[in-house]
Amino acid sequence: MKLNEIIDIVKASGADAWEITDTREEGWEFYFIRRRLDQNRAKLVEHIRVTVYKKSEDGQFLGSASGEIAPTADEAEARSIVDGLLHNAAYVRNPFYTLNGPFEGMDQAGNEPVDPAAVAKDFIEAVRAVPETATEDINSWELFVSALNRRFVNSEGVDVTSGYPSCMLEAVINARRDGHEIELYRLYKSGGCDRETLSRDIGEVLRFGKDKLIAGNTPNLGKADVVFSTDAALEIYEWFATRMNAAFKARGLSDWEANKPVAEGATGDRITLTAVKRLPNSSRNAACDAEGAPVRETVLIQDGIAKRFLGNRQFSQYLGLTESFQPGNLTATGGSQSAEALRQGQFLEVVEFSDFQVNPMNGDIAGEIRLAYWHDGDTVTPVSGGSVTGTMADFAKTMRMSRELRQYDCWLIPAVTRLSGVTVTGAV
Amino acid sequence: MKAPFSQFLASQADGLKALIALLGQRYDYVSVLSTDSKGFAARISQRAKSVANDTMTTERGHVVRVHRDGLYSEAAFNDFDPAHPEIMAERLTRVLDNQLAVLAATGVEPYNTGALSDEPRTLFVEMETGRLPEEEDMEALIDTLSAISDEGVKRGEGVIDCMANAQSTHISKMFLTAHQDLRQSYVYSEGGVAVIAMKDGRNEMSHEGLSGRKGPELFDGLKDKLDDALRVAGELLSAGRVEPGEYDFIAAPDVSGLIAHEAFGHGVEMDMFVKERALGAQYIGKRVGSDNVTMHEGALCAENVTSYAFDDEGTLAGDVIEIDRGILKTGICDALSALRLGTKPTGNGKRQNFEHKVYTRMTNTLFDSGSDKLEDMIASIKKGYLLEGISSGMEDPKHWGIQCIVERGYEIVDGKLTGKVVAPVVMTGYVPDLLGSVSMVSGDRGVFGNGGCGKGHKEWVKVADGGPYLKARARLG
Repeated sequence: MKLNEIIDIVKASGADAWEITDTREEGWEFYFIRRRLDQNRAKLVEHIRVTVYKKSEDGQFLGSASGEIAPTADEAEARSIVDGLLHNAAYVRNPFYTLNGPFEGMDQAGNEPVDPAAVAKDFIEAVRAVPETATEDINSWELFVSALNRRFVNSEGVDVTSGYPSCMLEAVINARRDGHEIELYRLYKSGGCDRETLSRDIGEVLRFGKDKLIAGNTPNLGKADVVFSTDAALEIYEWFATRMNAAFKARGLSDWEANKPVAEGATGDRITLTAVKRLPNSSRNAACDAEGAPVRETVLIQDGIAKRFLGNRQFSQYLGLTESFQPGNLTATGGSQSAEALRQGQFLEVVEFSDFQVNPMNGDIAGEIRLAYWHDGDTVTPVSGGSVTGTMADFAKTMRMSRELRQYDCWLIPAVTRLSGVTVTGAV
Repeated sequence: MKAPFSQFLASQADGLKALIALLGQRYDYVSVLSTDSKGFAARISQRAKSVANDTMTTERGHVVRVHRDGLYSEAAFNDFDPAHPEIMAERLTRVLDNQLAVLAATGVEPYNTGALSDEPRTLFVEMETGRLPEEEDMEALIDTLSAISDEGVKRGEGVIDCMANAQSTHISKMFLTAHQDLRQSYVYSEGGVAVIAMKDGRNEMSHEGLSGRKGPELFDGLKDKLDDALRVAGELLSAGRVEPGEYDFIAAPDVSGLIAHEAFGHGVEMDMFVKERALGAQYIGKRVGSDNVTMHEGALCAENVTSYAFDDEGTLAGDVIEIDRGILKTGICDALSALRLGTKPTGNGKRQNFEHKVYTRMTNTLFDSGSDKLEDMIASIKKGYLLEGISSGMEDPKHWGIQCIVERGYEIVDGKLTGKVVAPVVMTGYVPDLLGSVSMVSGDRGVFGNGGCGKGHKEWVKVADGGPYLKARARLG
């Protein structure tokens, strides 16, 4: 069934408001074991997602229900799905809010032409050019290249189409020594292929693999300074962003207040968190968010002071926010020292975790250490095992960030982040 | 009642068989997996309510797998016209040929795998369910969920919100080749109650869930979960931190399930053997745990969220004994990995959905029960913890490291629970050491199917895991 026919069905359904997102994807995927191809895959799919809204009789509440209409649905099935959604929407009573309306520049949202063949070829050549050695190499890797085209239409007059690339590369790195082999894991997301960055990042992991083989046991350090210099640091900055999310705030899960410090009595660096429209090679350089709201450069936290919560239109309106949106790209800045200066004294630099996590509810951090470097004054020792724990609520007060920045897809964050007073449980 | 097989898929079957015949002129193996799975998800809290027609596993589409010159290729699509299979045959052939041109230009060679067999087989299974998600009375369900949410906030001290959620999915899948026609349908459901409480500016969330290969009748038991969720939220708010060190502990059945999943679930997924990514390959027939450790894996092991009749490659469901009294017996295997390893597939080839590749994946992963009593297990511990509630886990099949983040631990001193709670608890260790330390096993067992499992950090599928209470020893931090 064609999108315009579905729009006509939704318009005639009796819904008080509606939204439709039509996403078409041509995906190219390649799976490698060592240097040989395990499998190639193609994806030629379309997903049409419909949300219908129903106002309560007194206008105080707005209900919604959403679902997908398959492109193979005939008219009767599409009508039945829309009627069912409308029926369910009547039982969902949320305080009233409005949908997004048209915005300036909507017609120029931009279509970035994407050639999956050319992007895939770039990636394959880039990965195969990584300088492997007899003792460090790529075990297996998976490449996902997508050309996406998304049209968002709603009852308030928004009709915006954007085309953009989205890529993902999963790489498993091996290192071996004296009959013993270890592996490290990376998942890279990006808009297209940036050969230079990819080569640098995989080269870094190959080096880590070599050190993992000679790593001793992580000592039981009690409380220690811990330095984050790889993608695990993203979890730390995502914790700040989550607490500035409008839904998190409206649901009572963030006690941060606008124009107040995010960390009372802070003595460390003061973070500035900014939503930006574009970052080079990001997979999230869309002109508007999933609900048709235009993305604008907006400061969420300025020098450690909460400035503006951002999020979807429902919860933003509950907080009384105008011109809100769901950010795609974010930058975190505010470091006062160089990366080199942050690597002074005694500290544990963890470069590989099993799965480092920051609990968005309470800020608790936890992660098993797969590779770290224990800097004990003059000596540097690779170590492995044990774990780090503590809470961001404490660490945010003394956190130090480097002036140098590093990009991970849709995030630009300090290249080095140093937390103090982290509990480090040793490996033995 | 029987969960009826999709009429949509039935209407597509002849056209898909024609597509297979057309592609068969060019390829030496062709199969199609078709899916049409419907459901709903309702989430009710004090501050937001939502209803949608989709769950983690709702989908409608097809994926073709073909083999030629040693290479397997796949193409996923969801706009097939059964009256014109030649259009899709031409479209799929073109895009796959374009991919081969890129591979040729970059000098890539295939892994070189033989063709799967295509012995004649038919199967038609419609499993029992109490009700169907597509016929559920949503008004009544939303009322039930709202009442649970209201009561949670009213009864709990410091509770700022209480979320009740319910989701149910009616799965229909069809696997076709030139000589095979397998069709199955079943319903699974899962629900939960989550309580968010705040004290001194600190938030904590507890979650109690239930799941099963059942229809929405499962949600009749949801209100019974509220008491536990409220109690645990209160415990988390006043919890202290564990003093890092090595302890005896008792894993509650949900934590036993997490250990099973992370310790030897991922570690014996045999697509990892093909890539030489798993240490387990070298330990078949060797001791990896104490005599108290026996572990099963398979869709037939339990009736829960992933208890199907056949997997996404048309292999019939199985029940594999992975560890028998401490000895690693075998792993689990998808069909292509089995071909490459010269073994038989075990019915564990699963896709996130029709758009995704098949990997070897878990279904029900369970420790066997023993004969010990929980009170005797507690009494046997001088200083340790009863660990309960799962947050997350991560494995390292190459190095056999394990990380389990457990929601909370109840202190045990001199054989008695002291009432002191610590949270969260990070359990780390070396898998054979951990399983080798299992010294007592209770006679009961729980199976848990809430949540999903990723491969690496993607490819999310439904799994269930569980076991009895296990007494073991590991580092807690």
